[in-house]
Amino acid sequence: MYDLTNVLDIEALESVRPGSNILISGPAMTGKDDLAYEILADGTRQGQGAVIVSTGDRADNVIANFRDRTGTDAVRLGVVDCVSDSANDGSGDGIYVHHVSSPGDLTGIGIGITKALEGLHESGAQQGRLALSSLSTMLTYTDRKTVFKFCHVLSSRLDAAGYLGLFTIDSAAHDEQTLQVIKQAFDGMIEVREQGGTRQARVVGLTSSPSEWVEV
Amino acid sequence: MSDPDAPVVLIVEDEPDVAETYNLWLRDDYEVRMAQNGDEALDMLDEDVDVVLLDRMMPGLSGDEVLSRIRDSGFECRVAMVTAVEPDFDILEMGFDSYLTKPIRSEQLHETVGNLLERSEYDGLLQEYYSLVEKQATLEATKSSAELAESEEYADLTDRINELQDDLSQTLGGIEDDEDFIATLRGLGNGDEH
Repeated sequence: MYDLTNVLDIEALESVRPGSNILISGPAMTGKDDLAYEILADGTRQGQGAVIVSTGDRADNVIANFRDRTGTDAVRLGVVDCVSDSANDGSGDGIYVHHVSSPGDLTGIGIGITKALEGLHESGAQQGRLALSSLSTMLTYTDRKTVFKFCHVLSSRLDAAGYLGLFTIDSAAHDEQTLQVIKQAFDGMIEVREQGGTRQARVVGLTSSPSEWVEV
Repeated sequence: MSDPDAPVVLIVEDEPDVAETYNLWLRDDYEVRMAQNGDEALDMLDEDVDVVLLDRMMPGLSGDEVLSRIRDSGFECRVAMVTAVEPDFDILEMGFDSYLTKPIRSEQLHETVGNLLERSEYDGLLQEYYSLVEKQATLEATKSSAELAESEEYADLTDRINELQDDLSQTLGGIEDDEDFIATLRGLGNGDEH
């Protein structure tokens, strides 16, 4: 089970089943990525693997930021970079990088994730957490149906690997129906918002009723 | 094979003995078509073909060329490459759905064809699942929760969605296998546009 309460003190996150896939939804600038990466860093501190699929940031930045966040260079991290077309894929020091031509290249993203999972598994990480940021960017490259199916298939793959999946989406960038459809591909959702100058979050779907809003 | 609903397998192989062996193994379960080269294969290709077993090294059109023409044709068949050397992910990146390394045993051949058909089944289920989820979202957006609670259509839809979720998680062993995972992702973009 994954205990995420170090990051977000909500009871529903105390023991999250391996293979769960969680949507992190909220308007822009409410710290969705921050929350996802913090959950990954929390896993790294416990010796777990981390995979980041980034549609907005180059692999070298992702790696540097993640090292800063965890406070250690000794991370086991797979990065699927959908931004820069650098040819120097590869691995070393527990880092596995795969470049993909665009956020619309679902097969490429899948191959990158597969290679990262394989590398992390070989490095001895039995558990791990994956963050994909963001579905909103993917939705500008691919239609809703394809993104939905992608989420479903990736969820199944992560379920088989026993990973925890976190996928961010900008709730203000899509119509209500799109959010409603995409939501259906996930086990639960963390909603984030900004209220009176503070960031708040609540959990929906992992338990029968939504949790209270708590400060992040 | 006289069953008109039997899946159709197209064998593309320039060595007649080898092709005939595959035919013998498969013909009790499938409708088998045999082509000796790439041009013949493209002639025999139509919307009924479910699986193509494609020899990579053939005189005339190469297996890679035939694959790219099959993909361009828009027919939704699954293509397994038959090769003499053990390949890697590159095969999947090239667009093949699977591969078989010669010499092939009967068991392997059946397993591969069966797996490719299961992938098509998975794609079909996933497509149906999406359609229903979309319909459900439309109902949820246009009706009040009181109306939804009374709607028989909504209740049926919800039941069917739950059933499909179970079916999907049981097909392909829940996408445990990397090859199934990659090939399923590649199939997402093509074919099923409405």
